[in-house]
Amino acid sequence: MEVDLSVATVVEVVQTIFSSMIDLEARPAQAAGLPQGSRVTSSVYLEGSWNGAVSVECGLKDASFLAGKFLAVDPPESFDDDVRDAMGELANMIGGNLKATMGMDVRLSMPSVIHGNDYQVNVCGSVVHDRIAFEFEGGCCWVTVLSKDSKESAKQSSKAGQNGKM
Amino acid sequence: MDILVVDDSRTMRIILQRAIKQAGYRTLEVAEAENGCQAIEKLRGGQPKLILSDWNMPEMNGIDFLRHLRAANNKVPFGFVTSETSAEMRSLAMETGASFLLTKPFTPDDVQEALSPFLG
Repeated sequence: MEVDLSVATVVEVVQTIFSSMIDLEARPAQAAGLPQGSRVTSSVYLEGSWNGAVSVECGLKDASFLAGKFLAVDPPESFDDDVRDAMGELANMIGGNLKATMGMDVRLSMPSVIHGNDYQVNVCGSVVHDRIAFEFEGGCCWVTVLSKDSKESAKQSSKAGQNGKM
Repeated sequence: MDILVVDDSRTMRIILQRAIKQAGYRTLEVAEAENGCQAIEKLRGGQPKLILSDWNMPEMNGIDFLRHLRAANNKVPFGFVTSETSAEMRSLAMETGASFLLTKPFTPDDVQEALSPFLG
């Protein structure tokens, strides 16, 4: 099922969260690519009438900065429970607000948070719906919306029709 | 305790307490719990004027916590603080006995508007 998750919708959701919760202006940016080196990726998954995922990715320094803003403390010096929790909550709020625009029977997962230097997150059977970079006070994060690949779904349905099995 | 904040996210518990203070409720005592089970334990120590609870939490989620309260004839005012606000969730929350849903993200003005009927 097609959902209108336009770039404008994602931008509005992210900007509202940043301004309301941590008094930061988040501006869509032309950042080169996903962060390299030590970084954090937090994700929530949506399932139901629409299937996909929403993730927030940034370098560890920027994730720590955001955690400090959420908690009104100095940015943690390393990846700790506060950084994990803050990034998870950020993904949760973005995913939850995008879910609210869908107006369908869709369930939101608990957030997952990954930290490391050399990893790649793949949501199997999905395609990138939107990927938007946001700049804030010298930092940057990427918000990615992934949706289930409808061509893969159609292929599987076709195979099921042929052999009776999914 | 005046307000019981129930959320598995420490970040959100801190944000909510900050917003409560910024909304003008600086002198109120705010207690915390990480999920419905912990909240039930906290309530053994006294009844707050208001409970603010997340929806999705491990061990016991917000709606089950509310059902537990109402089944025990506890009529404490109860509000959900959640990023999910579908019509179905709102309907279920109200039918179960919640007084309001406060949507994340929220401002101190949003918090003040939600809390003032119960706290003045």
